[in-house]
Amino acid sequence: MSEETSLLVSAETYEENAVNIGTQQKSTDMGRFIERVREDGLYLLDIPTTDARIRSIAALLNTFDAPSIMVVSARQYGQRPARLFAEAVGAHSAVGRFIPGSLTNPALRSYIEPDVLFVTDPANDQQALREAVATGLPIVGIVDANNHLRNVDVALPANNKGRRSLALIYWLLAREVLKVRGETTDEAWAEANDLADWESTF
Amino acid sequence: MSERATHCTSSGIPLEEAGSTTFPCPGCFKPIGRSSRVRNQGVPYKCPNCGFVGP
Ligand SMILES: [Zn+2]
Repeated sequence: MSEETSLLVSAETYEENAVNIGTQQKSTDMGRFIERVREDGLYLLDIPTTDARIRSIAALLNTFDAPSIMVVSARQYGQRPARLFAEAVGAHSAVGRFIPGSLTNPALRSYIEPDVLFVTDPANDQQALREAVATGLPIVGIVDANNHLRNVDVALPANNKGRRSLALIYWLLAREVLKVRGETTDEAWAEANDLADWESTF
Repeated sequence: MSERATHCTSSGIPLEEAGSTTFPCPGCFKPIGRSSRVRNQGVPYKCPNCGFVGP
């Protein structure tokens, strides 16, 4: 079986949604996830690696009780897909500004005790990341070419800035989580979930 | 939650301090442990069971 046919969606689909389009800067941490530098200086992420990580992270997330998974996105374009992902798999989401103390201060109304944190961007979701570290939670994060792996325990290398990229990543991750549970198929998922509908609308 | 690691997979130190964590290996679900230092410095780990390299 060729690499191409074993991908979750075609390499073209990843490319059309700019999932592999990194940034002009590359952090030293991200070297092993980068395929090459484009002529215009953009670092391109390696699609087969991204694809493989989506599978293994879906399997990893399924080792936790769904309500104990917390998904966060301070970044605007991540908010709708992160929320739809959480709804689809039964996880908890906190999008927009993360209320400080949500993971550390039991006196707050927003306080919750998840078992794993999923961040859309470790740089943007710093507050949630810090609190997850303080409380000993494992952290899964979408990391772009310019992100650091500091305090990220499992990385999902992908463009975490683009509207379409974030939609496809969360759409695929939801599908794969539900497939591991035997709750959907590629066909059923595509029929019930229009990818365009997962894109941020603002 | 599943089985917990007692030691850091990268450095071997016992996981006692705040800021350390344990989670199932994404490749094989055996426990991975990470001390606060290796997390903070983004130090790689390799699963001794299946070879998965993280983060
Ligand atoms: Zn393993």
